[in-house]
Amino acid sequence: MRRSVKTAMAVAVAAVLGLSAGCGSEGGGGAAGSGSGESVKLRFLSLAWQKESLAANKALVEEWNKANPKIQVEYVQGSWDNVNDQLVTAFEAGDPPDVIHNDSPALAGFAGRGYLSDLSKTLPAELKSDIPQAAWDTVTFSDGKGGQGVYGVPFLQESQVILANKKLLEEAKVRIPTTEEPWTWDEFSEIAKKLTKPGKTFGAAWALKSPVNRVLNLSLNFGGTFFQDNGGKTTVKVGPEEKEVLQRIHDQLHKDKSADPSALGMGGADPLPAFFAGKYALLPAGVFMRQQVVEQAPEGFEWITIPPLKGQTAQQGAVSQTLSVAADSKHQEEAMKFISFFLNGPNQAKLAKGDWLVPTSQSAAKDPSLTTEENGWAVAAASAKNLVVAPYLKVNGFDEWKSKVATPTLQQYFANKISLDEAAKKLVDEGNKVLERYQR
Amino acid sequence: MTTTLEAPPRKAPRARSRGTGGGRGRREILLLMLPALVPVLVFSVGPLLYGIYLAFTDARSGRNAEVSFTGLENFGDLLGDGDFWSSFRIGLIWAVSVTVLQFLASLGLALLLNQNLRLRGLARVLALVPWAMPPVVIGLMWRLVYHPNAGILNATLQDLGLISHNVDWLNDFSIALPAVIVVGVWTGMPQTTVVLLAALQGVPKELYEAVHVDGAGTWRRFWNITLPQLRPVIVAITSLDFVWNINQFGLVYVLTQGGPGGRTRLPMLFAYEEAFRYGFFGYAAALGVAIVIVVLAVLGVYLWRQMREAD
Repeated sequence: MRRSVKTAMAVAVAAVLGLSAGCGSEGGGGAAGSGSGESVKLRFLSLAWQKESLAANKALVEEWNKANPKIQVEYVQGSWDNVNDQLVTAFEAGDPPDVIHNDSPALAGFAGRGYLSDLSKTLPAELKSDIPQAAWDTVTFSDGKGGQGVYGVPFLQESQVILANKKLLEEAKVRIPTTEEPWTWDEFSEIAKKLTKPGKTFGAAWALKSPVNRVLNLSLNFGGTFFQDNGGKTTVKVGPEEKEVLQRIHDQLHKDKSADPSALGMGGADPLPAFFAGKYALLPAGVFMRQQVVEQAPEGFEWITIPPLKGQTAQQGAVSQTLSVAADSKHQEEAMKFISFFLNGPNQAKLAKGDWLVPTSQSAAKDPSLTTEENGWAVAAASAKNLVVAPYLKVNGFDEWKSKVATPTLQQYFANKISLDEAAKKLVDEGNKVLERYQR
Repeated sequence: MTTTLEAPPRKAPRARSRGTGGGRGRREILLLMLPALVPVLVFSVGPLLYGIYLAFTDARSGRNAEVSFTGLENFGDLLGDGDFWSSFRIGLIWAVSVTVLQFLASLGLALLLNQNLRLRGLARVLALVPWAMPPVVIGLMWRLVYHPNAGILNATLQDLGLISHNVDWLNDFSIALPAVIVVGVWTGMPQTTVVLLAALQGVPKELYEAVHVDGAGTWRRFWNITLPQLRPVIVAITSLDFVWNINQFGLVYVLTQGGPGGRTRLPMLFAYEEAFRYGFFGYAAALGVAIVIVVLAVLGVYLWRQMREAD
């Protein structure tokens, strides 16, 4: 409380300190010089949080440190909740971690502001060819000066699947879809209706506490891009294609009554207890949720992973976890060496298993434990083929659009407080105003 | 630094021996204050001025960002920024309701603690506990209290049969702000209580005895003696509370990060996001300046009216 007396100017003050430090940082130094004989110290900011994933990350760092006494890596723990705020201050202060774990939506902004190194020249051929071009597309951005660059190495990808209560599906005698013949959205709504038993079971539960990325990624099923390029100027677009998924989820919630409206405010693993209790039959979720299910499910609970839904296509927007190198890092070469070790085939397989996500590395994807039928791994692995780069990744100012405009608008729309047309108008009008600031 | 450190002892005795001399003494007092002033100037006033300067530029984050002077453009943008004004409205609702509720609750608590109760000492210490906690810890603690599935609040209300299903206090559009206000009141009560308690103890007993003789009841005693006697302290503490509250950041940042959908986005949170999330340093500095001006204006009017009534 006492401290906040001066917060009136704290922002300005902090900005000042940040800026002046940023200007004076040219000569500042890393812990140790990279001269011959001396050992180099790299800081690796990791955002791993699931138990298995933490263990896998730390084990790899340890393995590297043992094998490379001259390039010592220090593991620094970060958190997805505030990593971008943390990085802005670290970048401005001129003292960012050398190797940075993040995800592709965050990279566009940082790349445009010159904070990250372009890796396109320094990537080893082996790493480059192991990861398909579709994944590289998710990390290729404008450098803010008219060129293009690769600003991270994508390694884990998330696709949207549906977790299902096997017993309820069998009781309702619905078709169990396969990767070759997935459910269409129409089929999905029919089945959700069929599974709904008023007062007892909802067919589906959409946990949409953070709705924007999910909805945008799924909207590609119907070709909904949400952004368009008008001669170098990006604007928001909400037409019939974009409205499909929005309308369908809304229908389930408020027309069919086959999805539980009280699940809307949930995020992460919140809906799982009700899922285990048979209150929800279908749970649309990211593939990583399988781990939470395996960990928390009561004895004897049977579940299956339903492959991604199909609209006109089964395409989904891909979000990759990435490793990047800070432009201010004094040890570019060593950082790249560490990344290529950390993300080689066998190691990616370990990380993918730890996070229950799909690896980008093609050699890692062949790992038998990542293609087994057990716990839905086969479905997860196959879903990777449908991942394409989502247009919003390249939009400068997307983050502000998301938090100021899209999140509240979608929340209100799904809560049935505004109509679809009102929501579309807000997304476009207020959205374009936000984007304009970034294109001055 | 060394010269300024050496200077005071040499000159100090002379300054004292000349007593309350004219210009000479004042200069020496200034010299004495110099060691204390340097950090204030370097770490407080300097950045403050720089922050004000930033408000008139288009400073942005970025390694190659060029800063240019833009005059009043930031303030022009600010006038048309609907998001900021809705955030400002939330800030005012927050600051006014927290300050008022805090004051009422603290006054009640202070009156209670001023009575001759058993274990009064212990109760007084307990009332101070929230003060000993940093806002971040308070935020984390209350997040657990409000947790939709594992929180003690939902569990208690369910046990009492007051609610049928769990309420997601911090994510509900209409409940989030009131829920945060409750935490704000709880957090700020100790210092308000302590100040009011101290003031209560300073009210001369003779006054009470006098009205007692006149046959005044409890309520009259409170209304005609206690309140008027406390008045200067009340004005001071509510103004301070108002400034503290409108500038609150850490507590709400930890509790909701401004969500859901911006319903608890206080102006300070808004400015923080502008600077450190979106990278518009110049604009964020302008927000800071604007908030200072508005707070000063509100306080000015309040204090002026209070003073006038006191006269």
